[in-house]
Amino acid sequence: MQKEMAYSFPDEVLKHVFSFIQSDKDRNAVSLVCKSWYEIERWCRRKVFIGNCYAVSPRMVIRRFPEVRSIELKGKPHFADFNLVPDGWGGYVLQWIAEMAGAYPWLGEIRLKRMVVTDESLELIAKSFKNFKVLVLFSCEGFSTDGLAAIAASCKNLRELDLRESEVDDLSGHWLAQFPETCTSLVSLNISCLGSDEVSFSALERLVDRCPNLRSLQLNRAVTLDKIANILRRAPQLVDFGTGNYAAELQPDVFSNLAGAFSSCKELKSLSGFWDVVPAYLPALYSICPRLTSLNLSYATIQSPDLIKLVSHCPRLQRLLVLDYVEDSGLEELASSCKDLQELRVFPSDPFGVEPNVSLTEQGLVAVSLGCPKLQSVLYFCRRMSNAALVTIAQNCPNLTRFRLCIIEPKTPDYLTLDPLDAGFGAIVEHCKDLRRLSLSGLLTDHVFEYIGTYGKKLEMLSVAFAGDSDLGLHHVLSGCESLRKLEIRDCPFGDKALLANAAKLETMRSLWMSSCAVSFGACKLLGQKMPKLNVEVIDETEPPDSRPESYPVDKLYIYRSVAGPRFDMPPFVWSMDEAVKILH
Amino acid sequence: MELQLGLALPPPPLIPIETFDLNSYGNYETREALGSNALSWPLLKLGPADNDINNIHHHNSSSSSSSSGGGAGCKKRSFDEAPFFDEKRNVPKTLHLLLWTNQPNDEDDDPSNVLHENSSSAIFKNDGEGLVGWPPVKTWRKKVHHQIPNGGAENNRLPAVENGIGGRASKSTYVKVKMEGVPITRKIDLSVHHSFEGLTNTLMRMFGISDGNRKIFKLTYQDREGDWLLAEDVPWRTFIRSLKCLKLIRSRG
Repeated sequence: MQKEMAYSFPDEVLKHVFSFIQSDKDRNAVSLVCKSWYEIERWCRRKVFIGNCYAVSPRMVIRRFPEVRSIELKGKPHFADFNLVPDGWGGYVLQWIAEMAGAYPWLGEIRLKRMVVTDESLELIAKSFKNFKVLVLFSCEGFSTDGLAAIAASCKNLRELDLRESEVDDLSGHWLAQFPETCTSLVSLNISCLGSDEVSFSALERLVDRCPNLRSLQLNRAVTLDKIANILRRAPQLVDFGTGNYAAELQPDVFSNLAGAFSSCKELKSLSGFWDVVPAYLPALYSICPRLTSLNLSYATIQSPDLIKLVSHCPRLQRLLVLDYVEDSGLEELASSCKDLQELRVFPSDPFGVEPNVSLTEQGLVAVSLGCPKLQSVLYFCRRMSNAALVTIAQNCPNLTRFRLCIIEPKTPDYLTLDPLDAGFGAIVEHCKDLRRLSLSGLLTDHVFEYIGTYGKKLEMLSVAFAGDSDLGLHHVLSGCESLRKLEIRDCPFGDKALLANAAKLETMRSLWMSSCAVSFGACKLLGQKMPKLNVEVIDETEPPDSRPESYPVDKLYIYRSVAGPRFDMPPFVWSMDEAVKILH
Repeated sequence: MELQLGLALPPPPLIPIETFDLNSYGNYETREALGSNALSWPLLKLGPADNDINNIHHHNSSSSSSSSGGGAGCKKRSFDEAPFFDEKRNVPKTLHLLLWTNQPNDEDDDPSNVLHENSSSAIFKNDGEGLVGWPPVKTWRKKVHHQIPNGGAENNRLPAVENGIGGRASKSTYVKVKMEGVPITRKIDLSVHHSFEGLTNTLMRMFGISDGNRKIFKLTYQDREGDWLLAEDVPWRTFIRSLKCLKLIRSRG
């Protein structure tokens, strides 16, 4: 009797309960309980995240989840950010849009990362989805302001348009004027990536004027400092603001106007932009600094003294992005002023210079690790490091979840002892038990991978370059890191053995990238033939891989799990190792 | 000096077989691991950092790479020198296409040798001008630093690379290249080319145009004013300075 009751909830009740379950992981778990829960769940899933657009086909998604309102897709591998993925590789969104246009008339949100988006795709979005609200194009390319004009003109209830770090073809600055006068719904607008000629400022002003809910606005570099005050006065409710150009000849009236405009923004917590900064204008920010939790100065080419002054006014800072002009002295100030700091990113001002141009060393990071107990996320470019420093950082910051260190010269050893940095990174993975993301650099042997395999149980993403001695290194990682989802490797002496010995592991991961390693064409073919649930793709721009002996290493290899089979949009320089697909084009 | 590994791992048995045999990958027997089960690496202990570093340094001398600076001087271990992993190591009992053995590698073309031969090509791509994609800074950021601000701001310190000094692969001047009739736009790094000949060679290769067909195509470019011009009509320097994007067209007549 009791047993029956447990299974006799009407579907509507279950549906209602499921509506409180938002996370994908939980929803996936729910769908595995039994057939009827699977059915109920799939009809009420509204949000789908697809970490690799080639892992599944649009048709499969639509078939399983017929009522989706929000979709997120990622395309190219992460190393595409650094020009390692040739142009034309793939990641086209058009087919997805086309299929969803018919299946999801109520689709309201599309978030894309590293995908190729054409004007045709944007026009299709504009005319297919009547309730379209959110478009985020993160690191995308392939579209122009014409496509944006279509979105602006047709999407009557658009809330979010975020083009961060995308490449847009400049054709006309007048697309902004396409937002109808009736559009008052904008909450977030990020056009920071647009080039000089692409924004009509008066249209922007009018848009900002009529959108009272605008909380987040990132201008592009073309917007000059004198115009910022006008915008801010129209939108004092802003929480997140990206300036354009922050440079002008110092004029007292411009300064006081700007300072006044900033001080009227009582909700402002996050600032970015700051191209071409004139330091004399930084004090205009002082009134809002005490409230700032996030500051992105990674384009600001200002020197340490000015940075120190600014940062010392921001005691509540949780997130700081900055160039290495901050130097060790600036980071020491940060460590003493900003006890709430959770995330620090230090970018190189002169990434290709052979000699250091600034006094930024491991000491800066050590200081921050000592002074900021809440530090969780680090991205740090520097030119020297020691095991001792890494051990200290690890001991000071056991709560690190993301640690990405880039020592600019490949294979740089511990500068004090000339040893490899195995022990230092080993300390990081040992002490930071919640570490989810790790990027390695410097001189590293197979031993660092043994540490990672032993301790990196929660590690989800690992980036490796110029490291290791043999297949054993890769084997440690593949056999030890239970939570590994993404592995990207370049210029390491890893060959066939570790890969083939851990073939099954690859099906538990999202993707593996290996370039300039020692994996042979023969091994790639074997993997492709024997592992039907993996897509094994060889990338070679110079000549077909089968024009050389099978033992020859492939240039670039991208392996990812997929239920959709090999893809059909491969360019001539990508070869699928799937048995069913002809290798010769 | 070899040290016992102090890792406490759960002990499912190691499952090696001697030879690689696709047909038998489902039927392996449990056997003792061959050879030493010690890994020569001390467990990193909590405690004064200096002390640990000294210990590690001392034990490191026999097994670490000897490279003392940048460059590709890392000592490559051949397979029989590689430390054997612990027999208690957890090997997934699922599909193996190759089972890890402790046997020395007696293949003639050890992949690490092949890599060594190719390492110069791997590391010195871009026609010897440096590493592709290293350091891992987004193109977006590189562009920011190369744009010289016009007027007004006098305090910006320009990176040395803008003066043409130093470094590797410094000017990431990628421009778009279209070919008539091909929908996909490609990108090409101009900084690694110094003549029309070199540029044309790369383009021919990129679009798969054979030597015989070369004459069919002409290289055109769009300059900053938006006009389309024939590349061969101007000197290289003028071309480089004023071009925005490239297009390969079929020559008529």
